[in-house]
Amino acid sequence: MKRRPNYLAGLGSLVWLFLIGLPLYVMLAATLQDRADYSANGPLAFPEHVTLHNYTQDFSNGFGHFFLNTLLVTLAVVAIVLLLVPPLSYAIVRSRGRITTGVFRLFLLGLAIPAQAVIVPMFYVISKAGLYDNLIGVILPTAAFSLPVCALILTGVMRDITPDLYEAMAMDGASPWRVFFQLVVPLSKGGLSTIMVFSALQAWNGFLFPLVLTQSDSSKVITLGLFNFQTEHGIDIPGLLAAVVLSMLPIFVVYLFARRALVQGLMGVGGK
Amino acid sequence: MMKRVLLPRAVAGGVALVLGLSLAACGGSDSGSGGSGSFKVLVYGDASNKVEKQIVATFNKTSKVKAVLQTIPGADYQQKLQTIINTKQAPDVFFNWGGGSIQPFVKAGLLLPLNDMIAKDPRLKADFLPSVFNSAVVDGKPYGIPMRGTQPVLLFDNKKVLADAGVSEPKTWEDLLSAVKVLKAKHITPIALGGGDQWPTLMWYEYMYDRIAGPGLFDKAMSGDKSAWAAPESRTALSRLKELIDAGAFGSNYDSVKYTDGGSVALVAQGRAGFELMGSWYYSQQQQDNPDFAKTGLGYTSFPTVSGGAGDPKDIVGNTNNFYSVLKKTKYPDAVAQFLKLMYSDEFVKAHMAIGNLPTTTNTTNFLNTATDPAYAKYQYDLVKAAPSFQLSWDQAYPQSASEAMHTAVQQFFDGKLDADGFIKAMQALPTS
Amino acid sequence: MTTTAEPRVARRRPVRRTGAAVVRPGFVWAVPATLFFLIFAVLPLILVAVLSFASWDGISAPRFAGLDNWRTLIHDHVMIQSLWLSVLITVLGVVVQTPLSILLGVWAAGHQRNRAVLSAIYFVPLLLSATAVSILWRALLDPNFGVPAQAKWLFGDGNLFGRQTSAIGVLVFVGAWQYTPFHTLIYQGAARAIPQVLYQAAEIDGAGRVRQFWHITLPQLRNTMITSMILMVVGGLTTFDTVLILTQGGPGTDTTISAYYMYQRAFKSFDFGGGSAIALVLVLIATVISLIVVKVSGYDKMRGTTEGL
Repeated sequence: MKRRPNYLAGLGSLVWLFLIGLPLYVMLAATLQDRADYSANGPLAFPEHVTLHNYTQDFSNGFGHFFLNTLLVTLAVVAIVLLLVPPLSYAIVRSRGRITTGVFRLFLLGLAIPAQAVIVPMFYVISKAGLYDNLIGVILPTAAFSLPVCALILTGVMRDITPDLYEAMAMDGASPWRVFFQLVVPLSKGGLSTIMVFSALQAWNGFLFPLVLTQSDSSKVITLGLFNFQTEHGIDIPGLLAAVVLSMLPIFVVYLFARRALVQGLMGVGGK
Repeated sequence: MMKRVLLPRAVAGGVALVLGLSLAACGGSDSGSGGSGSFKVLVYGDASNKVEKQIVATFNKTSKVKAVLQTIPGADYQQKLQTIINTKQAPDVFFNWGGGSIQPFVKAGLLLPLNDMIAKDPRLKADFLPSVFNSAVVDGKPYGIPMRGTQPVLLFDNKKVLADAGVSEPKTWEDLLSAVKVLKAKHITPIALGGGDQWPTLMWYEYMYDRIAGPGLFDKAMSGDKSAWAAPESRTALSRLKELIDAGAFGSNYDSVKYTDGGSVALVAQGRAGFELMGSWYYSQQQQDNPDFAKTGLGYTSFPTVSGGAGDPKDIVGNTNNFYSVLKKTKYPDAVAQFLKLMYSDEFVKAHMAIGNLPTTTNTTNFLNTATDPAYAKYQYDLVKAAPSFQLSWDQAYPQSASEAMHTAVQQFFDGKLDADGFIKAMQALPTS
Repeated sequence: MTTTAEPRVARRRPVRRTGAAVVRPGFVWAVPATLFFLIFAVLPLILVAVLSFASWDGISAPRFAGLDNWRTLIHDHVMIQSLWLSVLITVLGVVVQTPLSILLGVWAAGHQRNRAVLSAIYFVPLLLSATAVSILWRALLDPNFGVPAQAKWLFGDGNLFGRQTSAIGVLVFVGAWQYTPFHTLIYQGAARAIPQVLYQAAEIDGAGRVRQFWHITLPQLRNTMITSMILMVVGGLTTFDTVLILTQGGPGTDTTISAYYMYQRAFKSFDFGGGSAIALVLVLIATVISLIVVKVSGYDKMRGTTEGL
């Protein structure tokens, strides 16, 4: 099949490339020069004297520690999601009881609960539980609010496992436990990596829960570190943008080395 | 392929991590909440933290019970404080503005009256200027020890910009208006304003109302008599402000500029704006952001007199001082008392002097010469001493619940979205208690 | 945690009859996740409803206040305006992002090498948090130290955050910049799933590219459009980080959308009761929207998504 190239689409895509690429270029260029050069030459100029000073400075301002906190939160959230969601979806797909139907509806409605809406009582509950300014107090609600989407994604994937496979396992006298581990989990690997990606991004980029539920430097996550940096030294644009770059670096590395998994994962969020 | 390997490992790693994390959290709360002998000191995060760090270090050198300093960046301070003050994570000692800012905490019975500490060490009261110390007296009991400098709002300028334009620091309102005209003609923003933060805009109202009507009008409004806002003096003050705005004094994009992110500060330092009205802490901010400019290029003067106004031209507005208040639940009141004693020590006074703050202790006069800029220190000291009225910032005087609506009205009148009637109505709608 | 469920379920397994008897997991499998969700999402939601009838300043204990918060809310013009602003920003978001992401997604679905390379760049904003994106744009759009100072012919005095139209424009633009790549990705996936035979048949019929797009691609993307739009609507209604960092609801209250107003009421004015009432309104709106969508799309029906292919 030969088709002539679509020039119009090509042009449009270049315009979009410009809109995406220019800010990214400005960001990178800014972080590689010192403040004086940046304000003298403006945001569009190419860095005259390349320096990594902004990055080292950010690290000495505690960004390394914020990083670690974010990493802890992310891993814990992903772990909770991976522990809770697969059995849940399995029950939703395979159980015939009224209760599980109700549960599924509950999670569907849960999609509509914006995190902002519960932030006031969440603050109340977390501080009463003595978890204020503690990373656990951030992890638990973050994980809870990733559940509905993850359940929806994984349930969709598990539904595609055809009934005859279950019947074949039943012939062998397999328990639900065995069915789960030998059939359902292996066949929903794609879905599992999707919910991993989704919940990891949610946790890594989460802002509202840390904003309201933590306070001290020792429990600060990177998004909050960025926010505070901006309110304190927002005009140190190179330093600020270096912090922005640092905040995305780990995800960017994953993106470079596991682009397919990440992209497929995100595609999965939208259903099929 | 990689998924297969990744998944189980990630799960295992995650589980181990959650376990480890909860263990870590248990351990953490032990050392954090003071079991091993420490109390938390919470302060507003800005350039003055240098001194607080130094004082805490001095204290910890000799004390068995250690002080732990925590800061919350400025824009978030008040809200974070209120959300944690009644939780386990509440600090033992915290920064505040005295008066209205601690009243709700006193009412809720959270704060420790300092009478006993003062009885044991009378210098905790006697060594501070009474007018300042009294700002933190609520219902007849002292609740705060002054812990920074007094912060009158001054009109700062870039000396070089003014000299190049051939204008001098304005003495009167008319001087200011003509300086605005000259600077504008030279394509320099006459007055930098961090309108995006809203509270810098408020300072213009505070001074203008004081110059036109004297401190009485605001006191009357605060006491609950809302008709004060509709008085003719109120309208005069608003029309004078309008005059300045319409003359283009602030340029046209001031609402996209902020003070807190350093934007307006940089405009003045780089000579792209002539003036900025700001609290005396501006000096230490410039010192931190632009040390060379702070040393040689930064000028300052008091707010100009306004002809026909009833207010005394020597009146000032701003923050009388900041205070340390103590929570009742602190486990170490004695250690805290020892810590507070440092607030009248020579070291404290000198350290604040060095960054341009002006402590309000009785021994301050002895050290005016040790300030990095003795002239600046003396200027402020004389200004504060001579002022018949020192008006606390409106947003600190009003209850916290009023400040959002107040800031909105203040910004909208500057933008022309509210006229004088609209502004008066908005101010009348604010809760006063 | 889940392992405890296993033996019980296993023992309930019916005695094996003939081959077709399939064991099914009991509802116990769903219990851990459900409990977790109930505690950390549903319980707070119930508390929101309760708090909306209380007066609470965060210091002393909450006090029952009847309908006071609701009465204030109905007469609060900032609240009414915030609802309109939320809707406006949401609608603008959908209107801007949908056509963009469909076009880009369909374009990126092609297997040409250059498209793959460009797509890789397009997706970078996806990796940034809303916080990071907002901070990036706040810095880039600073009137004195950002791009507007360099391009006065385009931005004038650069007072983007000082006027309502431009402030809303910035919010919509930044939202699109951040989220279009995600929706592009969804459409790319969906467009790749469209059977090639449909296009081949159209080609034989002599249909041009534009007609193919209208008559094959778009109809085939219908379900994806629904999903993508729900996500946009829910995301739009709950825009928060962007407003907090870029405009703080200003100038004045010109960009104070409901989610931000709720935060302001609760955590800046310490009227947690009033804030909760606004939050409840938000939940109600989002629930109604998602109920409609669930009904329309048949999301909750127990069926495989591959059906009909």
